[in-house]
Amino acid sequence: MNLIWASILIPVATAAVIAVANARAARSLAAVGSLASLGALAAFAWQFPAWSTGAVFPEPCGCAWLDSINATLGVGFDSVSLMLALLEAFLIPICVIGSWTAISDRQREYYGWFMLLHASILVAFAARDVLLFYVGYEFTLVPLLFIIAIWGGPERRQAAHKLFLYTFLGSLFFLGSILFVGWQHHASTGLWSWDMGTLSSFASARLPANTQFWLFAALLAGFAVKVPLFPVHTWLPLAHNQAPTAGSVILAGTLLKLGTYGIFRLALPMAPEGGAALAVVASVLCTVAVVYAALICWVQTDAKKLVAYSSVSHLGICMLGLFALNPVGAQGSVLYMINHGLSTGALFLLIGMAYERYHVKDMDQIGGLAKRMPVWAFFMVFFTMSSIGLPGLNGFVGEYLCLFGTYIATGDASTGYPGLLGPGFALVAGTGLILGAMYMLLLVGRYVFGPLREPKDESHGKHAHDDHGAGHGDLTGREVGLLVPLALVCLFIGVYPKPMLQAIGPVVERTLAPYPAAVERTLKSQPQAAEAAKAEPKEDDRG
Amino acid sequence: MIAAPAMLSSVLALAEGPLDAHAAPELRWAGLALLLPLLSGVLCLLCGWMKVRSKLPAALTIAALGGAFATILRLQGVVGETPVVINLFDWISWTWGDASRFHGFTANVDLYVDRLTVFWMLFVTGLGTLIALYASEYMESDVGKGYTRFFGAVSIFLFAMGCLVMGGNLVMLYLGWEGVGLASYLLIGYYFTKPEAVAAAKKAFIVNRIGDLGLALALFLTWQCYGTVEYAALWKAIEAAPASSEWTAQAIPWLLMLGAFGKSAQLPLYVWLPDAMEGPTPVSALIHAATMVTAGVYLIARMFPLFVVNPDALAAVAWVGGLTALLAATIGMAQYDMKRIWAYSTISQLGYMFLGLGVGTTFGASYHVFTHAFFKALLFLTAGAVMHGFAGQLDIRKLSGLLKVPGFRLVSLLAVLGCFWLAAFPFTAAFFSKDEILVSAFTAKDERVHLLGWIGLVVAALTAYYTFRVGFRVFFGPVKYEPGDEHHGHDDHGHGHDAHGSHGSHGSHGSHHGHHAEFHPHGPRWAIRVPLVLIAVGAILAGWPSYRTMLNHDEPNWVKTQVVQSSAYQGGSADSHGSHAGHDESSNEVAHAEQAHADHGHLVLGMDAHTAVGRLGSLACIAGILVSLYLHLINRGAADALRRTLMGSIATRWIVVGAERKWMVDEFYDWVIRLPLRLIANILSAIDELLLDAGIVNGLGALPAAVGRLFRPLYGGVVQGYAVTMAGGVALVAAWVIWIWLRGAN
Repeated sequence: MNLIWASILIPVATAAVIAVANARAARSLAAVGSLASLGALAAFAWQFPAWSTGAVFPEPCGCAWLDSINATLGVGFDSVSLMLALLEAFLIPICVIGSWTAISDRQREYYGWFMLLHASILVAFAARDVLLFYVGYEFTLVPLLFIIAIWGGPERRQAAHKLFLYTFLGSLFFLGSILFVGWQHHASTGLWSWDMGTLSSFASARLPANTQFWLFAALLAGFAVKVPLFPVHTWLPLAHNQAPTAGSVILAGTLLKLGTYGIFRLALPMAPEGGAALAVVASVLCTVAVVYAALICWVQTDAKKLVAYSSVSHLGICMLGLFALNPVGAQGSVLYMINHGLSTGALFLLIGMAYERYHVKDMDQIGGLAKRMPVWAFFMVFFTMSSIGLPGLNGFVGEYLCLFGTYIATGDASTGYPGLLGPGFALVAGTGLILGAMYMLLLVGRYVFGPLREPKDESHGKHAHDDHGAGHGDLTGREVGLLVPLALVCLFIGVYPKPMLQAIGPVVERTLAPYPAAVERTLKSQPQAAEAAKAEPKEDDRG
Repeated sequence: MIAAPAMLSSVLALAEGPLDAHAAPELRWAGLALLLPLLSGVLCLLCGWMKVRSKLPAALTIAALGGAFATILRLQGVVGETPVVINLFDWISWTWGDASRFHGFTANVDLYVDRLTVFWMLFVTGLGTLIALYASEYMESDVGKGYTRFFGAVSIFLFAMGCLVMGGNLVMLYLGWEGVGLASYLLIGYYFTKPEAVAAAKKAFIVNRIGDLGLALALFLTWQCYGTVEYAALWKAIEAAPASSEWTAQAIPWLLMLGAFGKSAQLPLYVWLPDAMEGPTPVSALIHAATMVTAGVYLIARMFPLFVVNPDALAAVAWVGGLTALLAATIGMAQYDMKRIWAYSTISQLGYMFLGLGVGTTFGASYHVFTHAFFKALLFLTAGAVMHGFAGQLDIRKLSGLLKVPGFRLVSLLAVLGCFWLAAFPFTAAFFSKDEILVSAFTAKDERVHLLGWIGLVVAALTAYYTFRVGFRVFFGPVKYEPGDEHHGHDDHGHGHDAHGSHGSHGSHGSHHGHHAEFHPHGPRWAIRVPLVLIAVGAILAGWPSYRTMLNHDEPNWVKTQVVQSSAYQGGSADSHGSHAGHDESSNEVAHAEQAHADHGHLVLGMDAHTAVGRLGSLACIAGILVSLYLHLINRGAADALRRTLMGSIATRWIVVGAERKWMVDEFYDWVIRLPLRLIANILSAIDELLLDAGIVNGLGALPAAVGRLFRPLYGGVVQGYAVTMAGGVALVAAWVIWIWLRGAN
């Protein structure tokens, strides 16, 4: 408990110190603060007793926050949220140190906002109280808005507006839903409670199916913006494209995961009837997103925008795995959240490093950089392979299990988890494997390989502080030092995902516990599907 | 985290190697065949890191691959008839619910060692070692540049190929499958500043990915049908419920087939392989001729129990193989680039292998893989030696009489030997393996594939023709050559050949075509010659099992023994000879199957199939060689005249143009798939940016503008300073908290 709060409050304190400290010290302070926060969280993870049980530790406390409605400051982790929080704490030092040369003006603000962003994301992942989760979730918007709007690219204002508008509207759905559930709980039991566990079991057991349908729809609408699901994704490419490198890294790395985590943590457990009823609709959107965004990626010329759109495609697969509503897909989905954060984060970092040198990311103007920067090219190829799911690296396990889960999510109950998707969805989403290779190798083929093309003179670049950049040379020791840990983690997850799968498994099974029954009910209400399930002869054979 | 102790114990388990009690203790070292190439890959990475500028990476790779080969040789001695599963460590595995059959998924890093595995690994690691040695000289102009990268990728390739062949479940196979794809991508694109190489690498990876999707879906289906993807358990499950008529079980072979056709360059996915010749020649020899492209054959042979339940799928495999063999041979007849011709011949020969699989002779297919690996590697490596010596020249119109060029006599001799083997000249190894396939085609129980025997014979004649078209043009006749216009390194450093010291006058040969006085081709040295000779010996010895069988009819063919005692023969009901082999009785079955040749009832032209195919095959081969001899050695003008005549008539013009332009298949794919997709993508991109974004979202209008006005002072530079912005943020949070509280209190 204390370690959790330490990891959250250290960055807040760091932000406060940065505010009063010398501007030159800001970046070092931020690095120290973020590393200390990571250390605190790692220490917590080391002695975390619930890795293999799926339980929440520590038990949420009753520490009062808003007494009148019994809102608490309850924090605690289960293995899934802890992994996501670790991902966040792991990426933040990389973001901070990665910004050392890229950010040269208003450094104190920049690093201050970054520390607050970090703290609020951690609050969201740690929260066991839905209101606290909401605060963390929503507060992330403020630092991010400033980071994009002040240190972003030429269209940063538009990007910031769009980001704010979209996610704020989305959050209203989310807030409305949880307030509704809290109010229902109060109406039904006479007690206020905002504890996630309490509300989830209350809502899933007590609310009628029709209400659950609308509850799930509202929560999905809220979180879908953050994920982002097609068709509410259009804020993301612009935000990514305009954000400074570290902003993109953390946006792709963990901010988007708040959306997927929200669906996993709140929407699915609270409204199983709604989840079962809406799984097909949501999956159709996911599947469309996979193909649609991948095709768009394929015709981008801006390297960063390409990777930004690829997030939409990837998260389509990730969400599809979740809506498969079986342990295979859901485990893959959770793992995918982490993997996507690592590999896409690293790709943004790499593109940022090249951008620092050339101030151009349009592949029509720049390319063949492997000639100039072989080490950079090595990492670029490495993380590209991670991103397109090469077995042996992290991307594969998650992507593979998501598609696998989708495939076996048929009405057939032999797995114990009947589903509503099936081979068709897996086939369409599976084209993402091909399309993913197409656009990522296009990126590598033009940006990394091919004849060297450099912009003639970048002294008219938008950034006036070229002297801080690393020139045109290959990666510096600092930059390599940022990429190596990322690469090692990617390799480790790819080679030995077992501990993570074992940790995710129990949580997933808990989350999905009400689903087999709910899906059966949904199947029965759809006569054709029920018939199809009956027609499958193997149902009996397998028993 | 909790990972640490688990990791440690698995590393310890690696050395211990849990094994069945009855298995030979040597088997626990099978993992070395994977670990050594992996180790050399890691060491190459370190070399790259430390900017090693010597041939150290090559030495490391050769040593590691040699070690892997030695391991496999040792295994060859001890592997028994029962497959052994060796668990290295747990990879993807967990269970849920009551952990019954369909309540769990297991895909660990297991090795499945049976005779087929060892047989396949034998030539993979053996040729890998020799070709790495060859490459150590071939690539030497790149020392300090791409040399380390090259050998790193070769090591990765051997590691991945090992996973593919030795893996104990379909996910391991998939890992190797994609891993060899990566190595192939990196090595085709080795000359990464050359746009064609980058494009070819990309094309190879993407086309393969199409097949990979099939493989992935097949994997899902296999689990769905049988509840496991581990070979050992899978065979048991199939045995328990063999003839499943569900569409799921029936669909598995079709999807596996797609994967195999991608990796092994068959119709309709063969288009990547000719382009893959952009890679350095040792890569073409190792990956794109001898080993990786046979992975599809391995896949089908390994998964044969899943194929036998579906005769339609087998017939499709046979037809795809046969048609690919024919199509690629016709294209190969009309190309002028030596490497491309060998590439098309590889596609064509792979077609034979699939034809063999489809008509049920996994032995014939595997045997042809084996013989083909040697002679095709030999042909590529000799082509590489020529290319190496003649500054990248590969045009068969510009090279002639190399047998008489000093320093190239050995290379030329070996190349001509390779030509005889590729043409399946009577009593060469390829003659026997091809014979086996064609006999099975003629005698297959499935009537639908008999025609393929005749197609196979036609292709045999075409093969002999185009093979010796190269052989006679390049190695015989008057001495005449033009150097190529490329420096060996393809790099813009431009001193590729200076490394050899003896011929420094290449600076300007781009403008000196035909002025031979200024160009001195340099012959290869020992590191190229030794592997060439050894591979040639291998090509000759590949026929050894058949010679022995021929001399002594009771002696089972060694290759057949390897294949029969594996899953490739399980449920052999689809086998053309009607033998029913299982694991237990397989040793008897070898003899039985041999016997079966004599007493099957199919007659071809009044003779029994074996005799007929032997005679017709010989005839086809010799006819092809004789035509080639006339057109490409005795009277070379006649070939040009023939081409002119054909071009002159509207009725025949299409034959020449079509074959020379590769039947426009690339263009067809471009127009029918790539361009429409590109168009759709552009439209979607425009929709996304304009309609969804500008139209709908910005159409909401007022809010963004209002928000913008709200925040503009903060970041517009009017109000500077962190304090204000930060205070604004805090105020905002405070507002939220109050709002929440108000809402909550209601």
